[in-house]
Amino acid sequence: MTTMKKKFFIKCTAVALVLVMAGSSCSKMKEDPYGMINSKTFYKTADDARAAIIYAYSILPEVGYYSRGYYIVTELPTENLTQKGDAGVGNLELDELRTTSTNSDLDNIWTYMYRGVARANAVIANVPNIPGMVESERNQITGEGYFLRALHFFNLVRMFGEVPLRTSTIEDASQIPMAKSPIKDIYDQIISDLQKADELLTTERISEGRANRPAVEGLLAKVYLHLASSKAYNSPGYDFVASADDYYAQAKLYAGKVINGQSTFNFTESLPDIFAIDVYKKAAVTEHIFDAAVDRSGDREGSFSKLPNMFLPADRPMTILYNQLDPSSAQINIGQGWGHFRTENAVYSSYNDVDRRKTQLIVSSYTNGGITYQLDITSSSRPFTRKFIDPDRIGDASSANSPIIRYSDILLVYAEACGPTTDGYAAVNKIRNRAAIGDLNPSLDVTSFRNAVIQERAWELAFEGNRLFDLRRTNSMEAVLVKKYGKTITSGAYFFPIPQRELDTNPLIK
Amino acid sequence: MKNFIACCSTVLILCLHVLSASAQQKKISGRVFDDQSKPLPGASVSIKDTKAGTATDADGRFTLNAPPEGKVLVVTYLGMLKKEIVLDGQASYTVNLQASPNSLNNVVIVGYGAVKKSDVTGSVATLKGSELNKTTASSVDQLLQGKVAGVQVTTGGGQPGSGATIRIRGASSLNGSKDPLLVVDGYPWGDAGNLKQINPDDIESIEVLKDASSAAIYGSRGANGVIVVTTRKGRTGQSRISFSTLETISFRANKPDIWQDPVDDATYSNEAAITGGAIPADVPYIGIYRPVGDGFVYFPSIAELRGLDPNKPKWPTNTDWVKLVYRNPLSQNYTLTADGGSEKTKYAISGNYYKEQGTVIKNNYEKYTSRLNLDQKLTKAITAGANVILAYTKNNGQQLGVSRSRIFPVYDSTGNYFRTSATDFGNPIALANQLLNTTKTVDILGNVYVNAKITDWLSFRTSLNSKFGNSVQDQYDPKNSTQRALDNKGSYGSIGNSNYSDLLTENYFTATKKFGEHDITAVAGYSYQKTSNRFSTLVGQNFVNDVLQNENLSTAGTMLISNDLQRYGLSSWYGRGNYAFKDRYLITFTGRADGSTKFGSNNKWAFFPSGAIAWKMSEEDFIKDLGVFSELKLRGSYGLTGNQGISPYQTLDRYGSNKYYTGTTFQTGFGPGLAGDNDEQGRTIVEGLGNNSLKWETTRSLDVGVDVGFFDQRLTLTADYYIKRTNDLLRLKTIAPSAGFDRQWINDGEVENRGVELGINAEIINSKDLNWSVGGNFTLNRNKVLAMGESNQVFIGSLYESVRQQISTYTVGQPMFSFYGYKTAGIIQTLDEGIAAGLTGVDAQPGEIKYLDISGPSGKPDGVVDSYDRTIIGNPNPDFFYSFNTNLKYKQFDLSLQLYGVKGDDLWDFQKMTPSRWMQRWTLDNPSKEYPRANATRGYRASDFYITDGSFLRIQNVTVGYNLKTSGTQAVQSLRIFLSGNNLYTFTKFNKGFDPEVGESGINSGAYPRPRSVSLGLNIIF
Repeated sequence: MTTMKKKFFIKCTAVALVLVMAGSSCSKMKEDPYGMINSKTFYKTADDARAAIIYAYSILPEVGYYSRGYYIVTELPTENLTQKGDAGVGNLELDELRTTSTNSDLDNIWTYMYRGVARANAVIANVPNIPGMVESERNQITGEGYFLRALHFFNLVRMFGEVPLRTSTIEDASQIPMAKSPIKDIYDQIISDLQKADELLTTERISEGRANRPAVEGLLAKVYLHLASSKAYNSPGYDFVASADDYYAQAKLYAGKVINGQSTFNFTESLPDIFAIDVYKKAAVTEHIFDAAVDRSGDREGSFSKLPNMFLPADRPMTILYNQLDPSSAQINIGQGWGHFRTENAVYSSYNDVDRRKTQLIVSSYTNGGITYQLDITSSSRPFTRKFIDPDRIGDASSANSPIIRYSDILLVYAEACGPTTDGYAAVNKIRNRAAIGDLNPSLDVTSFRNAVIQERAWELAFEGNRLFDLRRTNSMEAVLVKKYGKTITSGAYFFPIPQRELDTNPLIK
Repeated sequence: MKNFIACCSTVLILCLHVLSASAQQKKISGRVFDDQSKPLPGASVSIKDTKAGTATDADGRFTLNAPPEGKVLVVTYLGMLKKEIVLDGQASYTVNLQASPNSLNNVVIVGYGAVKKSDVTGSVATLKGSELNKTTASSVDQLLQGKVAGVQVTTGGGQPGSGATIRIRGASSLNGSKDPLLVVDGYPWGDAGNLKQINPDDIESIEVLKDASSAAIYGSRGANGVIVVTTRKGRTGQSRISFSTLETISFRANKPDIWQDPVDDATYSNEAAITGGAIPADVPYIGIYRPVGDGFVYFPSIAELRGLDPNKPKWPTNTDWVKLVYRNPLSQNYTLTADGGSEKTKYAISGNYYKEQGTVIKNNYEKYTSRLNLDQKLTKAITAGANVILAYTKNNGQQLGVSRSRIFPVYDSTGNYFRTSATDFGNPIALANQLLNTTKTVDILGNVYVNAKITDWLSFRTSLNSKFGNSVQDQYDPKNSTQRALDNKGSYGSIGNSNYSDLLTENYFTATKKFGEHDITAVAGYSYQKTSNRFSTLVGQNFVNDVLQNENLSTAGTMLISNDLQRYGLSSWYGRGNYAFKDRYLITFTGRADGSTKFGSNNKWAFFPSGAIAWKMSEEDFIKDLGVFSELKLRGSYGLTGNQGISPYQTLDRYGSNKYYTGTTFQTGFGPGLAGDNDEQGRTIVEGLGNNSLKWETTRSLDVGVDVGFFDQRLTLTADYYIKRTNDLLRLKTIAPSAGFDRQWINDGEVENRGVELGINAEIINSKDLNWSVGGNFTLNRNKVLAMGESNQVFIGSLYESVRQQISTYTVGQPMFSFYGYKTAGIIQTLDEGIAAGLTGVDAQPGEIKYLDISGPSGKPDGVVDSYDRTIIGNPNPDFFYSFNTNLKYKQFDLSLQLYGVKGDDLWDFQKMTPSRWMQRWTLDNPSKEYPRANATRGYRASDFYITDGSFLRIQNVTVGYNLKTSGTQAVQSLRIFLSGNNLYTFTKFNKGFDPEVGESGINSGAYPRPRSVSLGLNIIF
C-alpha cells in the first residue's frame, strides 16, 4: 500500500467510525410519550385508583351526556320539549320522532355513554389488582365502577335496545369488532353489576357527585321497575321477562330500602328548595341521591354546566321570585339563556292550574329593569322550567347539577311497584300533596293506579329525562304522543337506530 | 541561456509588433453589470472574430484594444446570457448581462450536492433570487406564486405576516402533512409555508425538487416535493456594500359590498324578521327601546330613518365603518448587505428591517433579520464555514369586520362603545382598541461545516446545524368584550409560549471520477436530526378589572395551565450515484433509509429508492446535424418517497385526564381515552389507542420529461408528465365509538395525482440597448381519492353554523376537498312549484331556494328533499393554472410584467348574499330567479347555491425601473430606482367584494383583504 493510499484509508476509516458511532446510538428510534400517562405507568397505587374512578365519573357532566345531550335525546321526543327553529336536523328528528342512523345527537350520546363504559371497565379491570390498597377503599372504588357501568348500560338499553355489551378494556384494535347482545343479557349484566356494587359500597355519602348504596339501590329499583312494567304493558323487546310481578316485587324491595332503609337522603318539602343549588349541594340531607356534579369554578363546560342556557329564553336577563307563589320571597337574577329548548303546550297545559310544579317550578313571567314580561307558551320565548338555574352563575358557567337519581323519583318507583296498597297510596300522595293537588282517587285498580303514578311522574319529573322511558316501558308512545298529543311517529318509537358511525366501523354489529 | 535570450527577444519583437499595431487600434473600456445592476467581476470580454479579449476586474471594469476589423463586442459570464454589442465608435460601453435561466452550464442545487443543469436527470426547477417580484412579502413563499410550473401557491388573505400554502404536484395526503419539505442551505427545516427567517433579498436561488428521483434523497419527507433555498454567499475578488429600500403603499383591492343606505339595511332587516316569523315586538326597526344590560337601546323606525316621521327628527347616525376600519398604510423594507471575499475568505453580512402595516387599523407586522455567512479556506484541502441567522418578528392586531349596521354609532351617549345587545361583540372600533393580541418570535439558526478534500476525486463534508426559536403570544379580551371573554366567565387573558429546538448532524462523502467516456459522481452519508417542540399556555378567566390585562394572570378568578412537549428523531443513511456515458446517457440512482421515532415498533425503518435516466439527444451527431436544437434531452424517473407528517407518540397508547367536582374541589382523574381536538360539533375527539404497526406514507411517482432548446438556448421549453400514487395513507381511521375511542392513526387508502407541466422562455431580442424576453408556465393537475379503507366518504374541515354541516369531503373517485350538498334550481316562484319540488313548510314558500329532489332511499327521486339528495356539487381544485411574464429593457430602463391565472376552480362563497345582492332579492314585485327573499330564520342548506366559479387572471406585478451606472470612480457604483405595482387588477366573475384566491379548500368566508400595493424601491451599491 502506498503512503498516499494508506493516508486515504486512515482518513476514511476515521470518518466511518464517527458515522457508525453516531448511527448506532440512535438506530432503535424508541420514543416515550411526554406529559401523558399510559398503561405502563398507571394503576400502580391507591392514588391511581382514586384518579381512575374520578375519571370514570367525569364523563357524566360532559356536554354530550348529562350537561346537554341526555336532555336533547330524552326530552325532545316527548310532549315536554321542542326546540328553537335553527337547532339543527338532529334535534328536529328527535322532536318529530323520525330518527335515522345518521342522527348526530344519537351519535353523540352513544359515544359518550360508551366512553363512560370504557372508563368504568378500566376501573373494574385494574383497581382490584392494585397492590397495597385498603380493602374498604378498593371495594368502594370498584363498586362505584360497577355502578357507573350499570348506569351507562341501563341508559344504552333503554335508548337503543340491543347493543354491544363491552365489559373488558380495549388494548388493541382487534378487540373492536363486537356483535350486539340480546336485551336480556344486557339486563343480566346490569343487575349483576348493581348487585356487586350493592355489596361493595357503603351507605354513607362520600361526596357530592359520587354514588353510594342508596344510589345503587335506587338505580336497581328503576331497573327492576323498567323490566316489570315493560312486561306488564307488553312493551316491545321485553318478552324475555318471565314474571312482571316478581320484578315489581324486586323494585319495591330496593326502592323500599331507599325510602325506609337509610337517612342520608330524604324528601324535601319545598319544591324550589329541591332545585336550589345551595340547598341540594350543602344541606345535610337532600333529595339528590345521585347527580352529575358540576361547579361554576370549573374550567370548561363539562366541569361547569351550561344546561340552564338551554332552557332560559334569550330575550334579556331575567329576575324572578325564589318562590313564585310568595311575593315576599327573595328576588333572584337568573340571567338569560339561548332559548334552545321550548316548553310544549302539551305538558304546560296538562298541569292543574294550582299544581305547584307549574306555579313554582315553571317560570311564566319575569322582570327586567322593573318591567314585568309575560312569557307566552305559543311564542318563541316560552314559560320554562326553573329546575336548572344558578343565580350565582359566572357568565355561562353554572353550578346546576343534573339530577340522575332523585328521592321523589324513587318514591314514585316505590308507589308504582307497590300498586294500590296503603304504602303505594302514601307514597304517591306525599308527592301530590307537596304539589298541592290533593290525594289520588283512593279506589283505583292496579292498572289505573299505576297509570296514575306514571302520570304523576310526568308532572313531577318533567324535563329531567324520565318521560321517554316511562312512555316506552308502558308501551304508550302511540297512545300518548300520537293519540293524545297528535304527534306522528315515523321511527325510533321504542328503540333509536344505532348510529351509522358504529354500523360503518363495527363489522360484527349487523 | 542562449535559447533564453533568443526567446526573450522573440517575445520583445512580438510585443513591439503588437504595440505598433495598436496605433491603428481603438482603445475601448467599459463596465459589466449583472441583472441586479451589480458590477460583475471576472466576465470575459472579447471582440468577435478577433483575438482581442480580457476579463473584468473586481469592479466589473475592462479595457481592451479593438482591432480595426473588430465590429462586435462579446461579453460572456457563466450563468448569464451572452451579450453581443455592435461597436459604434464610442469609447466606453456599459454592458448589462441577463441571468439566463436556461444556460446549460448553470449549476442546479440538489439535495447533498449540485449538478450542471444539462446533467439533471430528474424534474428540478430553478428560480433565481433576482426573479422574485419586488413587493412586500413577509416570507418568500408568497413570491413563488406563478413562478414555477407544478407549484401551486395559495394565500388565504392579505393579513400582514401570514404564510402561504404550497402544493407541489397536488395534495397527496389526507390527514398527514401536505406541505413540501423546506431545505435551506442543505438544512431540512420542516414544512414549507412561512419562511419568514430569510429575507428574500438574501436568496441566491430556489430549487424545487418535484419528482421522485430528485426528492428521494430526502426519503420519508420527500413525498410532497422539496423546496431548496440557497442563500447568497460572498464572491472572490469583490467587496461591496449594497443598500436597498422598498416603500410600499397599500390599498384595498376589492371594494367592500356593504349597505350604503341605512334605510335599505333597516327595510331588509324588518322584512327578514317578518318573513322569519318574528312576533311584532321583535321586528328590529320599529322605533322602540330594547333592554341592553342595565340600559336601553333605541331602534329607530324606517320612517324616522327616512326623516318622514312628523314627531321625530331624521335619524342622525350614518356610520361609515369602512372609513373607520380601513386605511391605506405605508410599509417599509430596508436591507443593508456587505459581501465579498479573497482567495481564502468569503463573507456575506446582511441586516433587514421589515414593517408591514395591514389595511385594517392597528394591525401590523414587524421583522428584523440578520445573517452572517463566512467561508474560510483553512488548508489547501480543508474549508470551514459558518452561517448564522437571527430573526425577530412581532405581530399585532387582528382582522376587523365592516359589515356592521350604519344605523348605530361607534360610541353611546356616555362615551362607551355602542352595543345593540349584551352579546353584541361586533363593534370593530371597540375590538381594535380593547383587545390585546401580539405575538413575538425569535429564531436563531446556525450551522458550521467542514469540507475536506481527501483526494482529488473524493471529499467529505460534515456539518452541525441547529435551529432554536421562541414565540410568545399575549392576549387579553376585557370584560364582556368578546364571545371568548363571555365564555371565559367575563374576561380572558393568556400567555402562550412555544419554543422549538432542532439539531442535525450531516456527514457525507462525495466522489467524482472520470474514466474515459464514463463520468461517475457518488454521494453517500449519514444524518441524525432531533427535534423538540415545547408549548405552554397560561390562561386567566374572570379578572377583577381590565387594568392589568394579562400582566398578572394569578389575579384571575380561574387559572388554566396547559403544557406539552413533542420530540422526535430521524436517523438516516442516504446515497446517490450519477453515471454519465459519453456525456449523453445519464443514469441516477438515489436511496435513503430513514428510521423515525414517530413510527410503530414494527416499522421503525423505511427505504426509499429511485432511479432516473436521461438522454441528451442534442449531443448525438444525428441531432447536431439537424442544426436545430441547442438542447434536446429526454428524461424519465421512477421512485419512492415518503411522508411521515404526523405528530409523535401516535403509535403508543395514551391516557387522558379530566376533572370532576366532588363537593368541595375538583379532583383529577386519569384513564383510557385521550381527548384531543374538538370536532365540528364541539365534541372532543378521543384518541389514545396505540398502533404498533404505524408507518410512513409511500408515494410512487413516474415522471417523463423533455428539455428542448433552440437558437443557442434563446428559446427553451420544458415539459413534464407525471403520475403520483400515494398509498398507505396516514389516516385517522374512525373506529367504532362503542370501543370508547373515536379514531386511530392507521395506514390505508390511496390518492393519485397526475398532470402536465409546461415551461417556456424566449429571449426575443437581445441587443445592446434592447432586451425583450417572454416566459410562461402552465400546470394541469388531476387529483383523485382512490381508496380510504372502509369509508367511501369522509367530511373534513369546519362545521359551518349557517348550513349546519361540514361541506368539504374526501370522496372515493373524486378530487380531494370536493364539496358535498344539495343541488338547486334557482328560486321558487309559487307555492305549488315548491311543493312539487319535494319541499315542505317554509322551505316550499315562494322566494325560497329551490333544492332539488335527485335521489331517495332507493336511489331514485322520492318526492322528498332530504339528506339522500346530497351529492358532490363542486371541486375547488383548478382545472389548470398558468403564469405569463415578460421583461423589456431599453438602455437604462426596464419594464417587467407578470400575470397569474387560475382556471376552473369551484369556490364555496359563504359571502354570496352581499347587501348589493340583497337589494335584488326576491319579492312579489321582483320575482328574482337568482336571489332568495329576505328571511331571517331561513335554514340554509349546504348546496350549490353557494358555488361560484373562482377562475381569475391577475396582473400580479408590473415593475418599471431605471438603472444608473457610474463610471466606478464615485463612491456609488450603481443605483437602481424602481416602481413596482402588485396585485394591480384581477379579471374574474367572482363576487366583486372579495378576492377569488381564498385558500386551498376553496371556501370564501371573508378573509383578510389582499391589498393592492405600489412600492418605490431603491438599490444602491457602494
